[in-house]
Amino acid sequence: MVTPLGNDVESTWNAILSGESGVREIAGFDATGFPTRIAAEVKGLRAEGTIEDRKSLKYVTPFSLFALAAAEEAVRDAGVRPTTATAERWGLVSGSGMMTTEFDFLQRFQREFAADGQIDLARLGAEGARFISSPEFARHQAVAGQALLHKRYDIRGYSANLHTACASGGQALGLAMRVVRSGQADFVLAGGYDTMINPIGLAGFCLLGAISTDNDRPSSASRPFDLTRNGFVLGEGAGFMVLEDWKRARDRGAKIYAELAGEGNSLSSYRITDSPPSGDGPIQAIRGALADAGETFDSIDYLNAHGTSTPMNDLSETNAIKAVFGDRAYDLAVSSTKSQMGHLIAAAGAVEGIICALAIQHSTAPMTANLRTPDEACDLDYVSEGCRPMQIDAALSNSFGFGGSNSCLVFRSPQRAEDRGR
Amino acid sequence: MQNGVVITGFGCLTASGVDAAATWEAVLSGESGIREAATWDSSGWPWPLAGEIKDYSPRDLVSDRKLLKFITRQDVIGLNAVTQAVTHSGIIEHRDELADPTSFNDRTGVFVGSPATKHRYQHDFLPPLADSAGDSREFGVRAMEDVHPMWLLRTLPNNVLAYVGIQYGFKGANANITAHGVSGSQAIAEACRYLRDGAIDQAIVVGYDSASELEALPYYASVGLLSSRGLRPFDRSRDGTVLGEGAGALVLETQDAAERRGAKIYGGVLGSSVVAEAAGVLSVREGGEGVSRAIRLALEDSEMRPDEIGMISAHANGSRVSDAGEAQAFTEIFGASSIPVTGFKWSLAHTIAASGAIESILALLCLANGRVPGIANLEELSPECRGVSVSASEQKPRSSVGIVVSRAFAGLNSCIVLSSHV
Repeated sequence: MVTPLGNDVESTWNAILSGESGVREIAGFDATGFPTRIAAEVKGLRAEGTIEDRKSLKYVTPFSLFALAAAEEAVRDAGVRPTTATAERWGLVSGSGMMTTEFDFLQRFQREFAADGQIDLARLGAEGARFISSPEFARHQAVAGQALLHKRYDIRGYSANLHTACASGGQALGLAMRVVRSGQADFVLAGGYDTMINPIGLAGFCLLGAISTDNDRPSSASRPFDLTRNGFVLGEGAGFMVLEDWKRARDRGAKIYAELAGEGNSLSSYRITDSPPSGDGPIQAIRGALADAGETFDSIDYLNAHGTSTPMNDLSETNAIKAVFGDRAYDLAVSSTKSQMGHLIAAAGAVEGIICALAIQHSTAPMTANLRTPDEACDLDYVSEGCRPMQIDAALSNSFGFGGSNSCLVFRSPQRAEDRGR
Repeated sequence: MQNGVVITGFGCLTASGVDAAATWEAVLSGESGIREAATWDSSGWPWPLAGEIKDYSPRDLVSDRKLLKFITRQDVIGLNAVTQAVTHSGIIEHRDELADPTSFNDRTGVFVGSPATKHRYQHDFLPPLADSAGDSREFGVRAMEDVHPMWLLRTLPNNVLAYVGIQYGFKGANANITAHGVSGSQAIAEACRYLRDGAIDQAIVVGYDSASELEALPYYASVGLLSSRGLRPFDRSRDGTVLGEGAGALVLETQDAAERRGAKIYGGVLGSSVVAEAAGVLSVREGGEGVSRAIRLALEDSEMRPDEIGMISAHANGSRVSDAGEAQAFTEIFGASSIPVTGFKWSLAHTIAASGAIESILALLCLANGRVPGIANLEELSPECRGVSVSASEQKPRSSVGIVVSRAFAGLNSCIVLSSHV
């Protein structure tokens, strides 16, 4: 994975353990005119060196670069890749971000066709086709990242590209799991990638008032479940994993991190930006995931929360957890890694799914950083004291999107999967 | 019926008609909705053609007037098709008589084929760009003053999904597919997956797009994809596609759910497929290998033999390479047979993310009425498309089962198998 905490799995996990924050003043562009000037940017990832195929470089944008880098790490780690014989049995499911037009393209467009802010239609008709290059047109497509991943690995089977805002990555993993279960593919490369840290994305969130304006203390701006939380912090990055059938993985001697055991997928149908305080919507996703995995709430040890650090999300999520887990809710370790890496939007669910697998592997629950002022209404065990060594046999990952889409995933330890008759 | 997914309602809005009946009549009588673009002044444009919705009036298309402030033109078109389909199905009347409508809502999914983002959304930022003259800090300040606070929410690629949920209270599994020209078909395919998996009992499916936006015309033209003369599928003189607007929506249910409520059943979805060619972002491979594979997999999924297929709704987008590849795939799988082949884009234009959903509805009408409309502007069959039974005049389906083929950027191909008898 590629995250604001590191450009691969190991460095990201180490940064989680050491309590680092990935939030800084925005370095990618001059953001000083905006109310929010901080974000969790990916640091020091270059296309040269990441992309071997020089022709592909022309088709890469910052966010498809994140996807290619994270996918490469996943495929290498899995120790298996498509061959001529297996290409049609490999699938790809990606959750991708919504902002595909590059800001410098918009600037050029404005100078060329809208000098005074209004579009000169005659000029656009006459010159528009010469203005854009073919790779530029390709880069702006919502399927650009999907296409680059297919081409790079010669994946020729099933394919899907999803966008349900902040639920995209989680829903992508859930759909990929169903594709493997149904036998539609033997292997699926699945994940999410996004960046909205550009002048237009930042403007959009600032206009909405959804992001924290704690410009003077970036590292504590994201403080999920804290009484003083005041909005999320924009992050960016990508997470990909290789999913395959349990038996096939065992037979080939694969290193198995975890079983992706269940998916719950629901719609809040309440407001575009929030679930209701009662947790309705997320509740159905969590229950659905448990049922799909054949687990009950008793067996879950750790929950990686959506935990965005907005007043409403954290309350709604807390109440959803209470509704599903009852009194057991207080025994559950719940944390939001967005406290350290910000909100990766369409990539969040995929990256946090990987974090659940790592939490199982390393027997460690990540922390919720920056939770210093308790909120009476958010009174669960948020692992605020620091990462917690603990055995994790089953973990949940929540992702809830603008628009009301919810995803909850169940991850099981390899041991628990075996014990349950895998 | 195997796998049991039935169609209990449908509706569409296209350049050729305000609903399914009007669109069907237009296609049957050889009428095309393609004109010179009229939503802006396209006079003097080298490729002015578009399939726009005629007499577009958002207040007539969406009954909730407050909602119009929060959505864009393509969302209006999508929501209108959903309203038509839901009304057609009678599921709301059914739900409102239930003792437990909550559980009905929780088990109703929403699956959407979405166009993702649009260039036009960014036009709101042209005035602040012009006024700030390249000064990034100044741009931030002006963007905060000039742009509507709800800008980001208006541009969400999952707005139709969100508002279908909010309007009707549906809270089940959902997906928002942003996969260019296969989005509409894939929305049907993924709804069937969740219905078959038992995660939901009924689903609203919609594909929508306003692909013929201002900037799309010059940019599609820049890569040689647009025709300035008209969309002429399989014709010797074909030279590209024409972009258009539209939406198609269906209500799908498990056969059990539909029979239990005594619903009128219009047909069934027997199977589906999505496959990738791994050819890059914009290219399709010559020879139609991806199309053949998509058809074979969909037939396998529906347990159908090629000789049981009664008609083909081809992608037929007027592209030289794509039409020829499709023709090759059809002759390879079905032999030099007399299975009637038709397409609808010559009349409706290419509505990209909507096309698979709209064309599935029209294919269903072909099967139900025993009539396969001709491609009215076909003058001389291209030598590259020989062996395929396309005609300018009407044909008869050979059975009650048909296939719908859709293709997309990223080398994606999809096939849906439909039946009018269940």
